[in-house]
Amino acid sequence: MRAEHLTDDRLIELSTLEAPSATEQRHLSACARCDARRVRLQRLLEDVSDAATAAADAAFPPERLARQQSRILARLLHEGRPARVIAFPAGHTQPEPVAARTRPRSRWIAAAAVAGLVVGVIAGRFGHDYSFSRPARVIVAHTAEQPELRAPGSTGTIREVTASISEDEFLNQLEMAIDSPAAAALQPIDDLTPRAWDVR
Amino acid sequence: MSRTPPRRAPSTVAGAAAPLAPLSRDSQLAAEIKGLVASGDRDAARDRYGELVAHQQRRAVRIAYQYLRDAHDADEAVQDAFVKVFTHIISYREDLPFEVWFTRILVNACLDLRKSRARRLRWAVPMSSSSDTPPSDPATPEPTPEQRLVSRERADEITAAVESLPDRQRTVFTLCHVAEQTTAEVSQALGLSEATVRVHLFRAVRKLRRLLDHAS
Repeated sequence: MRAEHLTDDRLIELSTLEAPSATEQRHLSACARCDARRVRLQRLLEDVSDAATAAADAAFPPERLARQQSRILARLLHEGRPARVIAFPAGHTQPEPVAARTRPRSRWIAAAAVAGLVVGVIAGRFGHDYSFSRPARVIVAHTAEQPELRAPGSTGTIREVTASISEDEFLNQLEMAIDSPAAAALQPIDDLTPRAWDVR
Repeated sequence: MSRTPPRRAPSTVAGAAAPLAPLSRDSQLAAEIKGLVASGDRDAARDRYGELVAHQQRRAVRIAYQYLRDAHDADEAVQDAFVKVFTHIISYREDLPFEVWFTRILVNACLDLRKSRARRLRWAVPMSSSSDTPPSDPATPEPTPEQRLVSRERADEITAAVESLPDRQRTVFTLCHVAEQTTAEVSQALGLSEATVRVHLFRAVRKLRRLLDHAS
C-alpha cells in the first residue's frame, strides 16, 4: 500500500488539534520524510512555547512573584472596608467646661462673627439668587443669541459641559472629536502647527 | 529546568467538542473560598485565597506577559485580575473550572490595560525626541538557563513572529501553548465556539510555521 504524503495543513492539525488516524499513523511510521516534517513542526512549536515561558519567567523571578502576592493580599485587606477615622487626640480634652474659661469679650467677638456670617449668607442669597436655583453648569456657547457667529443651517442649540469629567471621559471626547468629519478640515492647519516638543 | 510540554487539545475526532476535565483542586478551593465569603468569614477566605493565588500566579504572569510584553503592565494586570476575582468570588459558578473563569477575567484585564496604555501613549508628549530606543525594564533580571538554551536571536525572531499574529490568533495560541489549556477551555474562557478556537489556532500555527520554519 502506498499512501500519499501528508499535506502541511494536515501536519499542523496533527500537531495541534487531533491525533492521526490509523492510516496516517501507519504512513508516518513508514514515511521518514513525513515523520521528519512532523517532528520539525512539533519542535518549532516547542521552541515558541519555550521562548514565551522563558521570557515571562525571566521577567518574574520567584521574589517578584512573592512581592506581587503580598501586594494582592494587601489590596484585598483594604477591599470593601470603610475609611479609617482618626480619633481626635485624647490629650487635648478639656478638664473643665469651655464656657467657664472664656472671657465675656471673646464671647462677644464670636457672636459678632456668627451674626456677620448669617447676614452675609442671607445677603448673598438675595443678591445672587440664581446661583441657588440653577444647576452648576458651564455654558460654553449660545449661538442663538449670537446670530453672526452661527453657521448656516445650525439649530442654535446650547452646548453645555459638566464642570468635572473623568480623564477617561475627557480622552473619549477628544477621540470622538478627532474622528468626526469636521476635524479633517483642520488637518492642514494641524500640519502647519509646530509641536511643542519640536521647538528647541 | 524541566517544564511540561504544552498540553495539546484533546486528541479526538476533528470538530468534536471535548468534555471538560473534572474540577481541579483550585476549583474546589475557589468553591470553599466562596463559601467562606458567603458566611461572612472574610479573613479566613483571604487566607485561603493566598493559596489559590500562589497556585495560579505563575501561569497568570505567563499569559499576561505574553499578552502585554511589559513586566510592569503584566504585573498590574495580574494583580487587578486576582483582586477582581476575590471581590466577585460570590458569582463563581462551582460547576465550571476555576482556571477558565480566572483566565477570562485575566484576559479582560490585559485587554483593558492595553487599551488604556494605547490611549495614553497616543496623547502623551514624548519627553525627549533624541532617543528612540524604548527604556529597558529595570526589573528584568538575568536570563534563566532556559533562555540561554534558545539563542537570543532566535528568541527575538519568535517574539516578533508571535507579535505579528492577529490579536485573536495570538490570544488563542497563547492560551493553548503557553497557558496549556485545551481548545474546549479556551472556548469557554474567550466566549467563542470551539470550532472558532480551532480555526484561530490552526491559522496561528500555520503563520508561525511560515515565519519561523525557514531558520529552524
